[in-house]
Amino acid sequence: MSVILAMILTAVLWAWTASADEAPISGTVKAVDVGAQTLTLEVASKEKTREVIVYMKPGAKIVRFIRAIEPGKPGFVEQEVPLGTVRIGWIVSATTKHEGNREMAEQVKIIVER
Amino acid sequence: MAAKLFTSLAIVVLGLLVGLWLVHPPATRANGDKHEEKGGHAHVPAPLEYADVHVPLSVWTDPAMIARGKEIYATRCAVCHGDQGDGKGPAGVALPLKPPDFRDKDGVAEMRDNYWFWRVSEGGQVEPFKGKGSAMPPWKGELSVEDRWAVMAYQHTYSGHDGPHVPWEHSESVAMGRDIFAMACVPCHGVAGKGDGSVGDMLAPRRAPQPRDFTSAEFKFRSTPSGQLPTTGDLFRTLTEGVRSGGGPMTIGLRGHRIMPSFQHMPIEQRLEVLEYVKSLNRGFWERSEVKTVAVPAPPTVTPERLARGKQLYADAECLACHGERGHGDGPSAPTLKDSRELPIAATDLTKPERFKNGAKPADVYRTLVTGLAGTPMPSYADSIETDQAWDLVFYVLTLSNNDRR
Repeated sequence: MSVILAMILTAVLWAWTASADEAPISGTVKAVDVGAQTLTLEVASKEKTREVIVYMKPGAKIVRFIRAIEPGKPGFVEQEVPLGTVRIGWIVSATTKHEGNREMAEQVKIIVER
Repeated sequence: MAAKLFTSLAIVVLGLLVGLWLVHPPATRANGDKHEEKGGHAHVPAPLEYADVHVPLSVWTDPAMIARGKEIYATRCAVCHGDQGDGKGPAGVALPLKPPDFRDKDGVAEMRDNYWFWRVSEGGQVEPFKGKGSAMPPWKGELSVEDRWAVMAYQHTYSGHDGPHVPWEHSESVAMGRDIFAMACVPCHGVAGKGDGSVGDMLAPRRAPQPRDFTSAEFKFRSTPSGQLPTTGDLFRTLTEGVRSGGGPMTIGLRGHRIMPSFQHMPIEQRLEVLEYVKSLNRGFWERSEVKTVAVPAPPTVTPERLARGKQLYADAECLACHGERGHGDGPSAPTLKDSRELPIAATDLTKPERFKNGAKPADVYRTLVTGLAGTPMPSYADSIETDQAWDLVFYVLTLSNNDRR
């Protein structure tokens, strides 16, 4: 009985922390530091605006979406771009994990380029 | 014994955790609150600067506009909103606040056209959407008004509705306003908004003013030229300030100062909602091609010369025929005045600015002179006097109350 309860307790705690860890952050790019491999985003949450520094994990991808060029193929395809391509003012969405005190991005999707 | 104690303790801890989960979901670092995703698309009323942007009826079903919108949608919108309009474009699925599903016919039906235009124009840069983490870009700088209408017309096709996107096709879009109207306005303005509520006659028995008929083209208090419908801002001002006037027994509760109460304590969103319903009673708001307003220039300095010219103009423009030489509303024509319903109507007593129905500030009096009061004998002087002359008259009229007190 106690084993079952302990398992349930563990599952609840795991689900709680996991759901807190897997969350996208979207915002407007305020700064790009290729050397430090970071993006500074201005994000709005709960009617407040703040700046978040997103660190690129080794191997993390930055992608934009372009129309498929093959004739007859519908939809969009991903095109990987280097961090230096990203410009201030673009709107991006980053999938991050909280490691230490840092937001570590595994993937950054470019939403709007302007 | 120890096993029982452990089991009880585990159950208590588990119960606490589940309770905590329900009351306070796990903190997320993301800016989109996933528990409010649906709320993120709550169709709040468009602000006043967008409230009059009603899409021309023909746009929604015009094949050329829909084709133009499809082209724009494919290049600007589909990456988030999806080629199928389902909100599942490759960029959209990554967003904390997911794009709406345009195939959701109920959700689309609740979106008013001015709300939709506001969202396309301002994107997620305005509240309440900014605070919810919306990544929607503002398109007003890149797409013309017609382009934005076109893209809305194309998005509208996903819902499966093939008529114009207007309140009389989607009554649910004004449901909240209709409920507020039923509670606050029906007694005077009537169930259908025709100004025939059961207490209307008791406000001013057998004489003007009577409650407004919202289905007619006559609206007294406007910033628009004579003969035109008011702006939403005009309606908002009247709703907020009420209408000053003495009245019959039903106005005792309003202390005899107002014939329509002020709704300044009603939350702004509710006032905007009820006005969207009021406008839905009159298709003219959707059929006018553009909304022009009368500009009220900055008032000049008052001088004795200006007041003298105003006094002369007061006589020349025959204001005294109705309002009387000293402004008491007792001019020779006053007893014969009738409104458009053939009800006797009193000329305003200009010595009592607190009774000026359209407001007593210099800008209010100027606006009244230039726009007139539709449905009453008060004409528009827009074509007969110059701007400077209008100010002369305004300042002279405002001195009548001072003179009376001396």
